[in-house]
Amino acid sequence: MAKQVMRRDAADNEYLHRDFHGALSAGIEYLHENYGEEAVREYLWQFARSYYAPLSEALRRRGLAALEEHFRRTYEREGGEVRFTSSEDELRIEVDACPAVTHLRRQRYPVARLFRETTDVVNRAVCHGTPFAAELLEYDDQTGRSVQRFYRSRS
Amino acid sequence: MISCTEFIPAYSELFKFLEARGGRQAVDGFWEYLSDRFLGNLRSAVEEHGLRGCWIYWSHTLNEEAADFTMELDEEAGQFRIMMHHCPSMGRLLELDHVEPYHDYCRHCDVLYRRVLEPLGYRYAIDLSQCKEARCSITVSAPDAP
Repeated sequence: MAKQVMRRDAADNEYLHRDFHGALSAGIEYLHENYGEEAVREYLWQFARSYYAPLSEALRRRGLAALEEHFRRTYEREGGEVRFTSSEDELRIEVDACPAVTHLRRQRYPVARLFRETTDVVNRAVCHGTPFAAELLEYDDQTGRSVQRFYRSRS
Repeated sequence: MISCTEFIPAYSELFKFLEARGGRQAVDGFWEYLSDRFLGNLRSAVEEHGLRGCWIYWSHTLNEEAADFTMELDEEAGQFRIMMHHCPSMGRLLELDHVEPYHDYCRHCDVLYRRVLEPLGYRYAIDLSQCKEARCSITVSAPDAP
């Protein structure tokens, strides 16, 4: 049989490997099993404070519009029904089903028991040190359906 | 939600977190855990299709990751190769100004895949000598290959 060759440039494909949600879920579960719940939250906090530092800075400078742009891009890329309600001092995001959890369920990957923290802790970490705060008003572990609220906590 | 396009920095930061908690052993422990629980699709593809299973598995993942690569399957010679010209994961980490990649990031590709392929009788070789430039290569040889 002849040798088969596949050659691809980065520009040939869109960067969207949804199975990475499964690897993140496995990482969260591993931390939970081996180091406990607080380690999961501490890790997500550290990651978010580091990686989303430019987003936190944009939130400080431009207010909630920066967050809305970020989340619109995220959910457009990942898919899913999402509704945004915004004012100068509050942003509310209603997600009918988290695209990450939907993929995990569809592919039968285990959903980490603390997977919700990838929304809750990350949102709070992004707001830390800004005039805004975040709260997760509703979250369904089965589907990832959520209501996320960001609001001005100080002037 | 952490987008799947933001996973690689989250992965790299997890390795740092684990190393701070339990040293290199903790990082290796996670990679072995991930290999055992998350790479069942590679394992089953190789069990069902032999060396071609590698081609099937990486055709899916490398295209979704928008990698810059050449992949070769020579079933007569019993060899499968990936030449990664620009790794999408390490490449993204190197592009970030505000986050330093985990110092031993690329070694996860050695641990994860070797742990699946060697118990099935395949030989697995990886060249990470240029991984800090986001380049590497993998060679998988069939059990009966010379």
